[in-house]
Amino acid sequence: MHRRDWLKGTSAAGIALLSSRWVTSAEAADALLEKFPRLAEVALSHATSLGASFADFHLMQTDSESLYARERMVQGVDANSKLGCSVRVLVDGAWGFAATENLSETAIRKVTESAIALAKGQAGWRAKPIEIETLPAYEGTWELPIEVDPFTVSLEEKVDRLLGINRSALETGANYCFSYLLAVRERKWLANTFGSRITQSRVRLHPSFSVTLTDPKQGGFASRESFLPPRAAGYEHFRDWNAVEEAALSVEQAKEKMAAPSVSPGKKDLVIAPSNLWLTIHETVGHPTELDRALGYEANYAGTSFCTPEKLDDLRYGSERVNIFADRTAEKGLSTIGWDDDGVQTKGRGFPIIKDGIFRNYQMAMGQAALIGRDGGSNGCAYADGYDSVPLQRMPNISLQPGNDEAVTAESLIADVEDGIFAEGRGSWSIDQQRYNFQFTAQVFHKITDGKLDGMYKDVAYQGNSVDFWNACDGLGGKDTYELGGAFNCGKGQPGQGAPVSHGAVPARFRQINILNTAEESGKKVAKQCDCSGGGTSWA
Amino acid sequence: MGLTKQYFESLGGKILGLVEADSAQLWLTETEDLQIRSANNDITSNGVVDRFKIGITVNYGKQSASIEINQSDDEAIREAVKKVQQMAKLAPEDPEHLPPVEPGEYLTPITFSEATAEMNPADALKEMRPVIEQARAAGVESAGYLERSLSSSALVNTNGLFIHGQGSGVNFSLTARAAEGRGSGWASTQVTDVAELDLASVGDRAIQKALASRNAKARPAGRTTVVLEAPAVRDLLAILSWNLGRRNYDEGRSFLNGLVGEGEEVIGGQLFGENTTVFSDPLYAAAPCGVHDNGIARAKTMWIENGVMKNLMVPRYWAQKNGIATVPWPGNLIMPGEGKSTEELIAGVEDGVLITRLWYLRQVQPQTLLYTGLTRDGTFEIKDGNLGDPVNNFRFNESPANVLKNIVASGKQERVMGSESDSPMHVPPLVVKDFNLSSVSDAS
Repeated sequence: MHRRDWLKGTSAAGIALLSSRWVTSAEAADALLEKFPRLAEVALSHATSLGASFADFHLMQTDSESLYARERMVQGVDANSKLGCSVRVLVDGAWGFAATENLSETAIRKVTESAIALAKGQAGWRAKPIEIETLPAYEGTWELPIEVDPFTVSLEEKVDRLLGINRSALETGANYCFSYLLAVRERKWLANTFGSRITQSRVRLHPSFSVTLTDPKQGGFASRESFLPPRAAGYEHFRDWNAVEEAALSVEQAKEKMAAPSVSPGKKDLVIAPSNLWLTIHETVGHPTELDRALGYEANYAGTSFCTPEKLDDLRYGSERVNIFADRTAEKGLSTIGWDDDGVQTKGRGFPIIKDGIFRNYQMAMGQAALIGRDGGSNGCAYADGYDSVPLQRMPNISLQPGNDEAVTAESLIADVEDGIFAEGRGSWSIDQQRYNFQFTAQVFHKITDGKLDGMYKDVAYQGNSVDFWNACDGLGGKDTYELGGAFNCGKGQPGQGAPVSHGAVPARFRQINILNTAEESGKKVAKQCDCSGGGTSWA
Repeated sequence: MGLTKQYFESLGGKILGLVEADSAQLWLTETEDLQIRSANNDITSNGVVDRFKIGITVNYGKQSASIEINQSDDEAIREAVKKVQQMAKLAPEDPEHLPPVEPGEYLTPITFSEATAEMNPADALKEMRPVIEQARAAGVESAGYLERSLSSSALVNTNGLFIHGQGSGVNFSLTARAAEGRGSGWASTQVTDVAELDLASVGDRAIQKALASRNAKARPAGRTTVVLEAPAVRDLLAILSWNLGRRNYDEGRSFLNGLVGEGEEVIGGQLFGENTTVFSDPLYAAAPCGVHDNGIARAKTMWIENGVMKNLMVPRYWAQKNGIATVPWPGNLIMPGEGKSTEELIAGVEDGVLITRLWYLRQVQPQTLLYTGLTRDGTFEIKDGNLGDPVNNFRFNESPANVLKNIVASGKQERVMGSESDSPMHVPPLVVKDFNLSSVSDAS
């Protein structure tokens, strides 16, 4: 079937995939806004009357739509809407939390009582009371600026684009291709006993694809995933992406990857594109500098951190050129929002994590700054991923700042590499529970010979220690090379929560990084290009 | 749990009564979670969370769409049905679409315990308190998580299918950390019936490991024999199971394609060691699971028997296209063991490493199913058949397929938690030769 055949017989104008009352209707949002003060009053007054020294009430609606196209078929047209509320209380220095999807006053009183019971159940055996700072009271509204609301764009338009990507890949020689579009809208209403009443709304979008080529004779295959990261943005993020061209390029790169020589393991210079480096920043700087981790709050799940409080203002985390900044206000940043889920205003609260190579600050939520003797309280890093989740300290947008020389590009960084690798696109990632030892792959590893790209390598992973790695950085792209990467689903907490977060980066060069041959790691014998002039193949 | 089978029958009938599409299928789910989290020997976050979900899939011929909502008032349901029908009418035809499943013969599940359902926040806090006090007394910092989950769900469709099931479970894990000497230990349990819950022994095991793992000595990376405790085994087995799909194999993009020679058949092939057997069984008492996979009845299924591949998962469409039987996704995994104690397993190792658990497992190379990850919370040297000093942690690069070829001995099955999935599993600790500890991790 031609990709447009299915359109025949549908209404000429088509409809937005989701125009239901949960998603786009201004009336629905207005109705919740109207209900919110009364529901908040029920929860907060009930909590206070039952002994809470602090309480907050979260009303939250999360809507999403996803489309999935496999080869020339659309196999997923899905919508989801989640609406509910939660009450968090602090009673005698202990937290309690409860949530429900039932928005009746009776249900809200009941969940308030459940939260109070959980807090009171700790009386008499806590070692230390939980203490929080007093926050300013805000009455405000914040909405993410977008150009085109993805929930108002027709299904036909979206499907047409996805099938266009797949067609491009298949016609260029892919055996398989899938493409995917996920759009999410969060609406949040927050009230607390400090007096804040906050309404917020934001949208995020993730279009993506993956192509696969197979080699039935050898039993091998190779894939290449798209580079476009998710963004806090409207439909324009998908519309303006030349995905058809990237799909064709991806097939060519997958072909080249299949035929590429297997890398020789050992130390090599590495230039990393922003499309890969954002995740390395996330894992080696983002997570280690979460204060709750450093203090042991994540010890049973995500782990702790090598970056302990006595290292503040002392640890040389990276070379002098490394500056990594955190904020929740970056344009199109997935963590960007007006107030965090503790009710801390984010405007003007950006902060350096690494300045001139030195570790300068942690990410913090309410009640955490005092634990390390820092003035100023939270820096606005609380987030709950749904009405049914307790706010935790989560990552702001954390970004590697451009180098001082605006003329530096990926090409100029590569030009100063004799024998190295240029990595592009997010691959696999893994790091230990204290964030020392990492190992990453990429979608494409280009070989660098004498300052120029020289084909590809396959079977590559780069591995190292976070602090050693950032201290090996000796080159950064200028501001024109800055790109924002990110993910929808950074995991943390028990029960697990997923947080959207962005990381800006410039191309960066790292000297003498440990390169692994992943085929050898799997125990396979690997045919390698021989470096000797006689040519031929040697077996490792 | 407030919602009964009768409620789901009534609700399902009401929703299907609103559907004008050719066919429809509903997933109705109520869950009730009780969550108690601790760190630094105190309760931190916690919660009581009730959820309700209505999932609706409608089909017009081969056009299909799905919607999920969590509001159950009449207006919300009417809007959802109207909307999903609009979506389906606009969706392109999917040549691979199949109508909803016909009712089958289903086993009676054994996944629910009334005693577990009766556990309340006070009970949960009462269970946690002695564990935390035990850690305080031992001079270690503990961080733990107890979760009691209840679920009641129904799958309903226009072919007359109605399957109702209930589930209950408690997961508990505890990490104990000794500041002096950088020791860390972890232990866990997973039960269906709260009567089997024994937090004290979990706490004791984690604390003893934390104390024993202080002052780790340096041991270089390299291929070696390892004793993988049950949490590590279940992670590797889970990963393997996610990659046992028939379609990917037939399409030439599975790790299995690299294990099977040209012209050979994967089913019946001796792909793993003769001492490897893995099966699933919804009625396996020590780790039961749901009795259907989206309406396809589950039964006891042998996946690997004495190293021979016996089954791959086959979705409905792929089964129909190829004239083979549908094989549903398993809900649990069981690996029989030889029943040896951990001490007996260690006694058989001349030089190696005991690994408590694995962490941050990620696929590196799909062609070989190579995964990387790290050891964590209790890594010890084995010398001349004895448990020796604690040693540094390691990054591994290894394929679960290789692990199942290299099993030397196995112990007594346990139901514990892993890092990568919460599905019920009953697996033994394993002695595995030639395990690739690729680099040293400074984490403790």
